[in-house]
Amino acid sequence: MSSESRARIMARVRSSCAGNDAATIERELAGLGVAPAAQAPHEDSCVTFMVNVLRNQGTLDVAADRSTAVKLIGNYLYQHYRSHRLVAGNDPRLAAMPWRDGGVLPRFGEIEEGEQIALSYARWGLAETGATVFFTGKRNPSRNNLLPEHHLVLVDADTLLPDLESLWREVNTAIANGSRPRGIHCIAGPSSTGDIEGQIVYGAHGPRAWHVILMGNVSPEQQEAARALHAGKTGPAPA
Amino acid sequence: MEQHSQQFKENAANALADAGGVAQRDILALFTPIMRDAAVAEFGPYEALRQHVKRVRQHSLDNLDYYLARFELEATNNGNQVHYADSADEMNSIVLDICQQHGARKVAKGKSMVTEETGLNDYLQRGGLQVMETDLGEYIVQQAGETPSHIVGPALHKTRDQIRELFLDKHDLGERELESISDLVGEARVVLRDHFLQAEVGIIGSNALIAENGYSMLVTNEGNGDLCANLPNVLIICTTLDRVLPRAEDATAIQRLLVRSATGQPHTCYTSFYSGPRRAEDADGPLETHIILLDNHRTDILASDYSDMLRCIRCGSCLNHCPIFAATGGHAYGWVYPGPMGSVLTPLLTSLEASAALPNACTSCGRCAEVCPSAIPLPDMLRDLRHEQSVEKITPASWRQGLRLHAWLACRPGLYQFLTGIGIAVMHRIGRKKGGFRSLPLAGGWTSKRDFPSPQGKTFMQQYRQRSRSNEQ
Repeated sequence: MSSESRARIMARVRSSCAGNDAATIERELAGLGVAPAAQAPHEDSCVTFMVNVLRNQGTLDVAADRSTAVKLIGNYLYQHYRSHRLVAGNDPRLAAMPWRDGGVLPRFGEIEEGEQIALSYARWGLAETGATVFFTGKRNPSRNNLLPEHHLVLVDADTLLPDLESLWREVNTAIANGSRPRGIHCIAGPSSTGDIEGQIVYGAHGPRAWHVILMGNVSPEQQEAARALHAGKTGPAPA
Repeated sequence: MEQHSQQFKENAANALADAGGVAQRDILALFTPIMRDAAVAEFGPYEALRQHVKRVRQHSLDNLDYYLARFELEATNNGNQVHYADSADEMNSIVLDICQQHGARKVAKGKSMVTEETGLNDYLQRGGLQVMETDLGEYIVQQAGETPSHIVGPALHKTRDQIRELFLDKHDLGERELESISDLVGEARVVLRDHFLQAEVGIIGSNALIAENGYSMLVTNEGNGDLCANLPNVLIICTTLDRVLPRAEDATAIQRLLVRSATGQPHTCYTSFYSGPRRAEDADGPLETHIILLDNHRTDILASDYSDMLRCIRCGSCLNHCPIFAATGGHAYGWVYPGPMGSVLTPLLTSLEASAALPNACTSCGRCAEVCPSAIPLPDMLRDLRHEQSVEKITPASWRQGLRLHAWLACRPGLYQFLTGIGIAVMHRIGRKKGGFRSLPLAGGWTSKRDFPSPQGKTFMQQYRQRSRSNEQ
C-alpha cells in the first residue's frame, strides 16, 4: 500500500517540479547563501554564551579548573538536596573528574527512578542561543538530559561555538567521520510551559532547574560583562 | 477530524456571546504581537532572514522531487522505515499497523497538527490503544474532550479554574487544592511521567526534515516531544512531505524564524535532531523508528496557484495578529487549522464547499501577510478563494449578482461617481440631524450591530476634485 502510494505521490510531485538535474539544483542552492544569525549581545562569544544561559533561566557557575568545578557541583548538591549524590553518563571525562575534592559521589549510567540530579558533559556550548549541545549515546544517555529534577551541565570554555552554522559544521564533520549521532540535543533552559493562561512555569516534563558550569579560562571581566548585560546594564569590555 | 466550518457564523456568534472568552482572547491578541515584535527587533536582520528562508523554502518546493528522494535515501540509510501516505486514513492505518505489530497498548504522543488533521487519536483508540497527548495544552483539551483552539497554544481558551475543575474530575488523586498554575502543571507532570515510562510507542511530529543527512528537527519547550522520541521502544514521526529542506543550516534558519514568530522567544528550551533508531553503542533510544510522509492534497496544492501556502511553518503568528481570530477564537473555524492560514489551508485540504465561510472571515487588513515569517500572501489567497467560490457559484446568488452590478458600475467611473454622489447627498440630507442610521436597506448586517454614520455631504472623489481645484488656484 505504502509503495503504491509512494509511486503515486512521487509522480504527482515530479509533475509539479522543474525537473532540474542534481548539478543545477545544487548550484542554485549554493547561490542562496546562508541565513543571517541573531545579533549577539556582546562581541565575545564567551560573554554572549553566559548572558544567554542566564536569559534562558539557567543558573551559572564558572570554574577555572576541574577541582573547582567539582567543589561547585558539591556545593550545588548540598544547597539543593543536602546530598552528595548524582548520576552521570559513562563519559571518560566525567570519570576522570577529581570527585573527592568536592565530596561528590557520582553513579555512572542512566538515571533511575528516585534519582533527582543528573550531570552531563556538553560536547559544545552555543553562544547564539546559550544552549548546551549533546550527542545522545553511552556517554550521554538521553534520559539523563530529560528525566532529572535538576540537570547539571559541564561545558568547556574552549568548546564554545558562536552560532548554529558553526555547530552544524562540527556535526557534519562528525557525520563525515562515521560518528553520526542518533540524537542531537540542544538544551537551552529548564523545561517550561506557557500552556495555561500564557503563564510560564518551569519543570513541565523535564528538569525544573538547569545549572551550567563553564570550565576554563574565563576572566572576571568577562563574567562581570555577562552579569551586567543580563541585568540590563552595559558591562565593561572583556580583557 | 470532523469538520464544522459550515457553522462558522454560528460558532463566531456563540464565541462573541461569551464575555469571559472575549476578555481572554483580547489579552492574548494584545500581548502576543508585542512579544513577537520585541523578539524580531532584538534579532536584528530579521527581514533578511525572512527573505532568505522564503527563497530556500521556494527552492525546496520547486525541487521537491529531488529533495524528497534524497531525504528518503538518507533516512533509510540511517535505519528508519520511511512510509508514504496518500490520505489521512492511510496514515492512521500505517500507525495502527506498526502499533499492533509490536503488541503496543500505550502510546505517548507529542504535539502534532498533522495527526489532528488525520484524526489519529480516535482511530488508534478505536483500535484498542490508549493514546495520551503529552504536550500540556494538548493533554488538557484531550481530557476535556475538545479540540485545540490554537496551533501553538491548544488550551489557551481555557482558564485556570476550568483546568482545575477538569483535573479534579479526571485525576483520581484524592483531596487537594490545585490553587496555582504551578500546581496544575505539577500534577500533569506526575500523571504524564508514568505514561512516558510505560508507553511502548512514541509519536511525534517534525518541524523540518533535512534532506542532506536524513535528520528530523523537533522544537519544544516542555521536553515532552523528546521524552516521546527517546523513551518508548518504537518511535513514529508523523509529518508531511512539504517539511523537507535541503540542508541542516536551513532547518536552523527556520528555527530562528519559527520560535520568534510563535512565542516571541529567541529559541525554545529543546531543539533536537533525530537520525534513526538506537545503535549498538547507544545507551537508550527507540529500537525502531518510522517516518510517515503524508500527502493529503499537498501535491494538489503544489500543482495549484496556492503553492506558496506550502511555505507555512505553523508558527501561529497570523492567528495572533488576526482581528477575526481574536474576536471568534479558533474553535469557530470548525477544523484543525484556524486563523488566516487555516482559512486558506482548510478549503485546500478539504473542499471549498465545506469551508465556504472561511475565506470570507477576513477584514483584508493585511496584518497576517506583514508578520508571516514565510512571506505568504495570505490576503491575496483568501481573495482568490473568494473569487473561486463566486466562479463555482458557491457564493449565494444574490451576493454574486450584487458583485456583478458593483463590477459593472466600477468599470464606468463617471456613472459610478455620479450615482454615489446622489446616494451620499440623499443620505446626508436624511441623516444629518440624527448623525446616523439605525437601519438601511441592503445593509441590515451592518445596522443590526451598530449605527451607520451619516455621510458628511460629499464623496471622496468630489472632495478630492474640490481640493485639487483650490490648490491650483
